[in-house]
Amino acid sequence: MRKLSIGVAVLATALAAPAFAQSSTSTKSFTVQGNVPAMCAGGTIVGGNGTFDLGVLADTTTGQLRTDLSAPDKVISGSFCSSRSTITIAATPMAAQNFTATPPSGFARSVNYVASASGWTTTPASFDTGAAANTAATQIRATAFTGDITVGIAGFATSGGSTLRLVADTNYSGLVTVTLTAAP
Amino acid sequence: MAPRGPLALFLLAGAAWAMPASAQTTTATKTMPVTGSVPQVCALQPATLQPGELVNINGVDGDTLRILELTDPQTLAAKAASATVSFAAVCNFPHRVVVESQNNGLWPTDGRMATPGTDFASALPYEAIVTWADTTGTLEANAKVRALTQTLLSVDSAAAGNLILRFKLAQGASNVADNAPVLAGVYGDTVRIYLEPR
Repeated sequence: MRKLSIGVAVLATALAAPAFAQSSTSTKSFTVQGNVPAMCAGGTIVGGNGTFDLGVLADTTTGQLRTDLSAPDKVISGSFCSSRSTITIAATPMAAQNFTATPPSGFARSVNYVASASGWTTTPASFDTGAAANTAATQIRATAFTGDITVGIAGFATSGGSTLRLVADTNYSGLVTVTLTAAP
Repeated sequence: MAPRGPLALFLLAGAAWAMPASAQTTTATKTMPVTGSVPQVCALQPATLQPGELVNINGVDGDTLRILELTDPQTLAAKAASATVSFAAVCNFPHRVVVESQNNGLWPTDGRMATPGTDFASALPYEAIVTWADTTGTLEANAKVRALTQTLLSVDSAAAGNLILRFKLAQGASNVADNAPVLAGVYGDTVRIYLEPR
């Protein structure tokens, strides 16, 4: 049955062909067009936990900021940009969420730090929450890229000076934001 | 039927141009919270003497203020003594200060109680004045009854700095009459300072 079907199909083609074969050569061309837009995808945070949890911020004997604060880096995996791109990092200070009044003399209610994102560009993007300007917060990558981005925080400092103590609060919170932007 | 081929091709090309407007994402963002906490902390460091504030007191020996001469050798009445000590302190939340005298005065350390009707003083009243966070409180240890006595200072905010304690034993202080001679013995009391939640 299979061989018979093929034979019929070939015959039908042979019968139809003479109608076109009688004219001189004619060519038609059609443009097949598509594009790949400049786009970026953010990927996922390895391990699923995207929170930098620093635990207790103050030295309980002095009330001042601990000098040994640290948190493991976060890795964003699966990010890509299909064209030239920029990576931008921004961050907000860790601020007391319940104690929102002006702190009394000798005290502070926020902690500054430096957030950085490396792996995407030669020079990591970094943002100091205590700085007036952050010129290194945006870095440019000239080519399309996919790869891990490692985000870290360090350089913790009491807002207003290291001699200040931190007011008690069960919730100090800040936010690190990493943005990939496709450049035209 | 012939036009169908080219028409179909143009439709496909049109779709290819239209798709990016809705599907492409030129910006991708990830946010990561940064969290921590600061527990309620009160801390009181060891005492240090305020220079130039000692009268008839030897100094701080560990946690002890030692009076050089408790009585005037001529009259046997209590002799004035005073000292000011400071404690580096911090409380990072609204709190209170409790100043507590264990005996409500200087009493014989051997545990004797006052003898009613005697002309001799068997206990010596004193004042402990505490200054902290723009607040001042006085513990009047009047030596009338040997008992725990305390005074409280409420502080409405966090505070840091030096807690100042001024001890004052007045000239002629007595639990019976001013300038009464003092019974022989070793006298003492314990003052405790607490920084604690209100």
